[in-house]
Amino acid sequence: MKRYGTDPTEDDDGIEIGIAEYAVTTNGTQLSTFGLGSCVAVALYEPSSGVSALAHVMLPRAQSGDQIEEAGKFADTAVEAMLAEMVERGADRDEIRAKIVGGSEMFDFSGIAEGVGRRNIEAVERELEALDVPIEAEDVGGDHGRSVEFDGETGTLALKTAEDGVTEL
Amino acid sequence: MRLDVNTLGTFHDMAQEGAQAAADRLSKMTDVETQLDVTKLNFMSKEDIRAEFDDGGYFGVRVRLAGGPGGQSIVVFDRESAREIVKTLVPDTDPEEFSEMDRSAITELGHILNNGFIDGWADVLETAIDISTPEFVEGETAEAVIGDLEEAMGRSDLALMFQSHIHAVGTEISFSHYLFPNYDAMGEALSKVTERPRTEGFPYEKLTGFDRMVDKGADEVANSVTQMTGFDTAVEIRRINFVPVESIPRDVSDLRQVGVAFTFDGLPSGYLVFLFDEDSAREIVDSLLPTTPEDALGEMGESAIKELGNIMASGFLDGWANVLDTAIDMSTPNYIRDMGSALVDPIAIEVARNQEYAFVFDTLIRARDREFDCVIMAIPEEGDLERALGALDIDDIGREREAPSFPIDEV
Repeated sequence: MKRYGTDPTEDDDGIEIGIAEYAVTTNGTQLSTFGLGSCVAVALYEPSSGVSALAHVMLPRAQSGDQIEEAGKFADTAVEAMLAEMVERGADRDEIRAKIVGGSEMFDFSGIAEGVGRRNIEAVERELEALDVPIEAEDVGGDHGRSVEFDGETGTLALKTAEDGVTEL
Repeated sequence: MRLDVNTLGTFHDMAQEGAQAAADRLSKMTDVETQLDVTKLNFMSKEDIRAEFDDGGYFGVRVRLAGGPGGQSIVVFDRESAREIVKTLVPDTDPEEFSEMDRSAITELGHILNNGFIDGWADVLETAIDISTPEFVEGETAEAVIGDLEEAMGRSDLALMFQSHIHAVGTEISFSHYLFPNYDAMGEALSKVTERPRTEGFPYEKLTGFDRMVDKGADEVANSVTQMTGFDTAVEIRRINFVPVESIPRDVSDLRQVGVAFTFDGLPSGYLVFLFDEDSAREIVDSLLPTTPEDALGEMGESAIKELGNIMASGFLDGWANVLDTAIDMSTPNYIRDMGSALVDPIAIEVARNQEYAFVFDTLIRARDREFDCVIMAIPEEGDLERALGALDIDDIGREREAPSFPIDEV
């Protein structure tokens, strides 16, 4: 079945990436995504060119038959798509670094969505390792929600939780 | 027309494609960037549709379709948006009064937007769609804008309605769009593009079962809350959305909320979540405990909210089991207090492992005598729901059973 993906939303505060979306920017526009539970945010940046990218990944890997418009939904396709687009837009492939956030287990002992956060983290880590992208910082696992704002020029990732306020990665 | 999840997926694509085309045209006309806020496939009763139009005056531009989905397509502006449009398109006009020229400017824009949608649908359905001359409509009720609801809904209890909301960034211009398809024409058009025999899925009429499920489930929950807390609660919104799974968390605020979640198992199986904003959660604790603890949402508060959640879930699922004439078991309650969307996303992920789209039964319960809101999201597994609806005897819907399908005193 043909599917049409949605696009991230851009306004004066930067680009907001929704669940299962990703965006690449070259001009230091702030990239943000909100309400990560078991989903994982994958932030990539390359300091010399200022090219950066952020994805809000929902599932570990795409199945055959999944549409190309849905690249941001899966760990494997999101990382690949962001890397390709970053290089195309002037990033030095060997200098790209990653920061990852999310992958909580929101529900205790319940059988609701058990292990989905952990599986997402593992898939993102595996994909980045396979493609030789070092993980510079991470805040993953636990049992709480997170939001992130990513400054692609400096690589600073502001992490917000309901309990602890804002910290920087 | 027969429905299944694939058919509805094609419907959703059609809605999305049409809405994007219309948003692009609004951009061109007003010379500002537009944002497609939401595209939904809703199943709505007459009362739900009337409730959509209870907030002031509306201007609409309506066309009838020949070919494709048939039926009618309506672009609706509220009064504020209409005024802004007139200011943009008709210089030197008095925006407080709508002159003949203002009305024709609105009609022209509405027609262009309708055409945008229709071109998008024609693309997905791979067919030509002819349209009638646009009709300008104006009024304060659903009937004034849409016309006779019985007729628009094809004489069924539940309208399959396509709804989009689009706004021009930085302005007050926004509009809603509604498509009421002709079910036979729609079935015909779909069978051509989906290349599958028309006997699959369940007949449209069985969606009556949906309507009863929504009604029963929501009423049972409102009653449970009133009985337990003494709040004067009523069902404010009842809606069945058919959406891509990734849209489920997008519709939930990322503010901190209190959630009680359950899995349920039977025909259908699925997930049920109650979401309270923190003030509403405190109201619950206040009403259920003899004295409110200093930290209302601490351990004592948590178990009070879980207990209420448990009774609400029992009522909700018993309402469903009653309509579907099946048995549904539920899990123990799971309590979480965190960002609302983060709280729902693990459930969306779990659902996404097996299906691309989901039916979301979306209900808002509100108290009339205090600040209390509760959002209920129920997400049945699609295969189960199809089977449950397929097995439903329409003549028998809503027959009262003697006992609930499960005890309600287990926490």
